[in-house]
Amino acid sequence: MSAVDSAPDDVRAIEAAAAPTRFARGWHCLGLSEKYRDGKPHSVRAFGQKLVVFQAGDGTLSVLDAYCRHMGGDLSQGTVKGDEVACPFHDWRWGGDGRCKQIPYSKRVPLRARTASWPTLDQDGMLFVWNDPEGSPPPADVVIPRIEGATSDEWTDWLWYETTIDANCREVVDNVVDMAHFFYVHYSFPTFFKNVFEGHTATQHMRATGRPDARPQEQGDKPKTTGSNSLAAYHGPSFMIDDLTYHYDTGDQQSVLINCHYPVDANRFVLQYGIIVRRSPSMTGSAADELAAGMAQFIKLGFEQDIQIWQNKARIDNPLLCEEDGPVYQLRRWYEQFYVDVADVKPEMTDRFEFELDTTRPVEAWQKEVEANLARKAAAAPAEGRPV
Amino acid sequence: MRVDNRLTDGVPMRPLACDRCAAQVLVRKSSRQQTSVQWNSGATALCAELEGAEPAFEGCGSLRDTIREATLRGTIELADGGGGGETGGPGRQLM
Ligand code: FES
Ligand SMILES: [Fe+2]
Repeated sequence: MSAVDSAPDDVRAIEAAAAPTRFARGWHCLGLSEKYRDGKPHSVRAFGQKLVVFQAGDGTLSVLDAYCRHMGGDLSQGTVKGDEVACPFHDWRWGGDGRCKQIPYSKRVPLRARTASWPTLDQDGMLFVWNDPEGSPPPADVVIPRIEGATSDEWTDWLWYETTIDANCREVVDNVVDMAHFFYVHYSFPTFFKNVFEGHTATQHMRATGRPDARPQEQGDKPKTTGSNSLAAYHGPSFMIDDLTYHYDTGDQQSVLINCHYPVDANRFVLQYGIIVRRSPSMTGSAADELAAGMAQFIKLGFEQDIQIWQNKARIDNPLLCEEDGPVYQLRRWYEQFYVDVADVKPEMTDRFEFELDTTRPVEAWQKEVEANLARKAAAAPAEGRPV
Repeated sequence: MRVDNRLTDGVPMRPLACDRCAAQVLVRKSSRQQTSVQWNSGATALCAELEGAEPAFEGCGSLRDTIREATLRGTIELADGGGGGETGGPGRQLM
């Protein structure tokens, strides 16, 4: 024990350094690309800056610093003219590559007329932007995997939500290892929980059983879930793909859930979540769309409760963990790789680490709690059993 | 970087070699069901099951068997004391 360690009887102090002012290196999703395809420049506050997103005449989406290098005009208030965004102040025309292409009232463009252009990726209906404080382009092996269902008629279209949260984005990432909060905050009932971190991915394997005390959308004659199987992985610091299969009494239902975010500044981030559902023989046409909408509502409810927690909780660098908690420290060690220069990424941040939780005790405790909830509802509900 | 309070106040990670490929990893078990495995690049290079595995791959089966054996033998103790062998052996200061 070193001198700074506290004795077992001392009051435990919460320790927290200020949130980093540096922003994670990696691909960040800015939402559905469709949103940016209306012929207008869009303003996005991200990475402590203001960006402009616009679609050139040829369909390409580009992201530039919003502030014009001429006299500081806000390009996101300008207009798209051909393949360029035109500044509202003096009409300088900026191309997606960051170069000034034309100044209509001048014979020629001056030297050094170049602004920051952010690498983009337009994939599976989503627009991504690459952030790197060191200014390097994305390495070829740092990719966002393709999502098969996103471009298939056998799946519904994206249902997408976004909301801004007053907290540092580490809070949302922490949740990938936080098994217990899935019961208390998301009304899920995990029975198997394992994390694997390796390279730039952080994976969560979770199997869950039904939660008959907490699924208002499953009342009446609607199909009831008997459990779920989820394989969720962060690909880089901010983009999670969750392959989620719900087992219903009527059969299995496949879905893909996206949970992603981008930082606005050190203490604010935009949280986004999207969902697609596979159409199946028993789940065709509007039934699949309805199911997707129902699931999205349920997920939204869970996130709203997350948000309530995040906006009121303390930042904590020294969480006190019990044996039934997940690997918070090792997750943060993995997450750190995105906040240091590439040359400073240590093997311990990227080496494979596995953590399988023992769910025996949590399952026992939660079964009792579910039973108690059901008994309370049964006692309180009117005879016809309307949702309460 | 900060260290998990469960490692400093409880049982640390212990070295263990896979019976099949001899990959050296660090292992900790808080109970029969709970398992932590820390790999390094040398170990992942040796493991035949990890090679070319899908990202969904949960872990090496041979290593899982090795860990189960080691737990029964008491080489890897359980932090909750539920079976397993001696505590405080070599490797106490790891991680
Ligand atoms: S400030 Fe943009 S054109 Fe003058
Ligand atoms: Fe959550």
